[in-house]
Amino acid sequence: MGQLFLREIKLIAGNHSLLLTLLLAPLFYVFFYGTIYSYKVEEKVVLAVADDDRSEMSRMFVEQMNNMQVVSVLRASSLEAAQERMYRGEAQGYFYIPKGMQSKVLSLQQADVVLAVNGARFLPSSELTGAITQLGLTIGAGVRLQYQEKMGLNSAMALQEAMPVNIDYRPLYNPQASYGGFLLPVLLVLILQQTLLLGLSGSVALERENGEIGRLVKVGGGLSGMLYGKAAFYLLLYLAYAAFFMTVNYQVLQLPFRGSYRDLAVLLFLFVATLIPMAVWIGTLFKSQLLAAQLMAFSTYPFFLICGYAWPFESMPPLLQGLSSLLPLTPFVKVYTSIVQTGGTLQDHAGSVIHLLLLWMFYLLMALWGLKRLNKKQQPISL
Amino acid sequence: MRPAIFKVMIREWKRILTFPVYYIAMLVLPPVLCLLYAGIYNKHFAKDLPVAIWDEANSPLSRQFTFMLEQTESIHITQQVHSEGELQAMLHSGTVMGAIHFPRRMDEHIKSRRPVYVTIYTNVSYLVPAKLLYKDAAQVLLTAAAGVQLQKLVKTGMPAGKAMALVMPVQLQSFTLYNPRYDYQQYLVPGVIAVAMQMMMIMVVALALNYEQKTGSLEALYEASNGSASNAVMGKSLAYLGVAWLDYMIITLIIYPLFASGAQLFSWGLFTIFTLLMLACISVGMMVSAIFKDLLLACDVGIFYTSPAFVFSGFTFPRWGMPWYDQYYAMIMPLTPFVDAFFKVYFMDLPLRYVRLEMAHMLLFTVVGLPVAILLFQRTLQPSTVQHA
Repeated sequence: MGQLFLREIKLIAGNHSLLLTLLLAPLFYVFFYGTIYSYKVEEKVVLAVADDDRSEMSRMFVEQMNNMQVVSVLRASSLEAAQERMYRGEAQGYFYIPKGMQSKVLSLQQADVVLAVNGARFLPSSELTGAITQLGLTIGAGVRLQYQEKMGLNSAMALQEAMPVNIDYRPLYNPQASYGGFLLPVLLVLILQQTLLLGLSGSVALERENGEIGRLVKVGGGLSGMLYGKAAFYLLLYLAYAAFFMTVNYQVLQLPFRGSYRDLAVLLFLFVATLIPMAVWIGTLFKSQLLAAQLMAFSTYPFFLICGYAWPFESMPPLLQGLSSLLPLTPFVKVYTSIVQTGGTLQDHAGSVIHLLLLWMFYLLMALWGLKRLNKKQQPISL
Repeated sequence: MRPAIFKVMIREWKRILTFPVYYIAMLVLPPVLCLLYAGIYNKHFAKDLPVAIWDEANSPLSRQFTFMLEQTESIHITQQVHSEGELQAMLHSGTVMGAIHFPRRMDEHIKSRRPVYVTIYTNVSYLVPAKLLYKDAAQVLLTAAAGVQLQKLVKTGMPAGKAMALVMPVQLQSFTLYNPRYDYQQYLVPGVIAVAMQMMMIMVVALALNYEQKTGSLEALYEASNGSASNAVMGKSLAYLGVAWLDYMIITLIIYPLFASGAQLFSWGLFTIFTLLMLACISVGMMVSAIFKDLLLACDVGIFYTSPAFVFSGFTFPRWGMPWYDQYYAMIMPLTPFVDAFFKVYFMDLPLRYVRLEMAHMLLFTVVGLPVAILLFQRTLQPSTVQHA
């Protein structure tokens, strides 16, 4: 096993593709991708505003809008001009205040204002709608407050009367409800997973390409010995990466960590230990390292999209739920997000931990079967 | 000149159908990925998400609010909890995605002018369900709150119209254009297919010229192209563009309408910007292929260049929310201008005059990439090199 461990290091050192994928890419990607979401939230979403009322109230409305963290007002001369700004991509929506708003409100008639957001862009449009709705409610409450005061109520009573039922929103575990806070923890894990799958499956495909499987099985003293010898290096390397990501990168990206490091360490060990035989098995399916690298590169998005993190597992069709259940990422992500973001424990997710253990056994068998198949093929023909 | 280009093009099609590094990535993967992505979002929206109710009010009003919440698309009340601790445990274990709390003596407080706070809890470590839950819960509670105010004002003898004007003096007519129900299949699937196509094209074309040496066919290419690198590069580019068009037809006219609930994806505007994206990717791929003789290195460069393209493109997280250096980096990828054009042409159904800048940006990759590839490959396509190879 020791011999195979050292041989794996030499193999990687002598193959620039493996060297890049396994030693350079994880560290480079983790900092490179991390920077994209370093601000975590999108601020100052541009909203084109056309104010045909030009009253004190409409000016106040627009001013308050511009003071919000989410909104940046881009003034337009007319409704058409505001629409044009959105069509050109200069604004993510438009807001229109028709003539007569102030006079209607003052004469206790309902006034209409129009907000149109570009729903093709999910995040900015939902942020804009949320912020402007809130502003509308605040202004409405202000008008009611003034009315109640005029009716003779004191300020405290008028305030209570203005807002009898209030919403107290508590976005737990990601208080800013930010995209960065949502994606970054899983992005770190995805980098670990994909570089490991790409590198190790490439390494196994290279051994197959070079007809080395039979010899390696002999050196390892059998299929299991060969698998463990090759796997030992990756296990050590990726546990080291995992420790680095969960400490240094969490600090650099200012990600909150609410759970127990011991639980996380156990979980990560199980995850990496499951990914290794999975990668070995995948590697045995490819005839060349080039083909393995090329096709595995396409697996990143499908794996992420079906793991149940970006889209609820229950909302996928049964066939894809089955496929998703075969990915170690699926049970892992459930437990991992619970530990790091909500302060959950392994005990809270005993079912998912057992799922991961079953997948480890499954992929171990698949890897051994794949190696056995190749070993048989690559045995020298005895005359 | 023309026959040589066509000879190379037909020769390249034959190669695409012969070698797995070409046909798996170009002909098998795009439809498979399209099927997969359309399948993931087959339900279009995340519906009936598990939600807990913590009803300390236990009153007619709280029961009415609960009924209204259950009627929404995203909320499905699955649990009743009796304490915050119980609620936290359910959120930790993932039993529920969110919860609504009605405080003790809610009805009484409303009647006696004491402000009432109804709490919405969401587990935002799952962003999509959390946003949907909040949107629906807030809408119900705001409507209900407005109803309470309206009743109170009407009871004082105020005419209904005037009372309504006071409850909501400024009525916000809110429109979410182009994807009003935030349909994920409509929103995400075409985008991720485009990502897969650009990735596929760059990674395959990165092997277009250098793979000739591995297959020992450089001499045959020399003959087919009359020894001209421009014939070779142009002929191969046309062959890849032809395959990209075939993929486009299969995806937009067959797979997408069949497996994405009959949704229409084909349009001439989209076809135009897709062609420009593919040309840009072919040009970048050709340049990589001409620079790197080592196949694995060329493939690695392709992976490194294309894999972050989606997140940098601004499709999910807007570019203006990224640090300035990431915004510049995004510009050197053809997917970035494509995504901007795609939003306008596909979602907003705008004419191509609105995407002139984006089209010029995509063309720039071709204007730079193809000549560089031709110049570099001409050095390889010399009689002495070819015979040696």
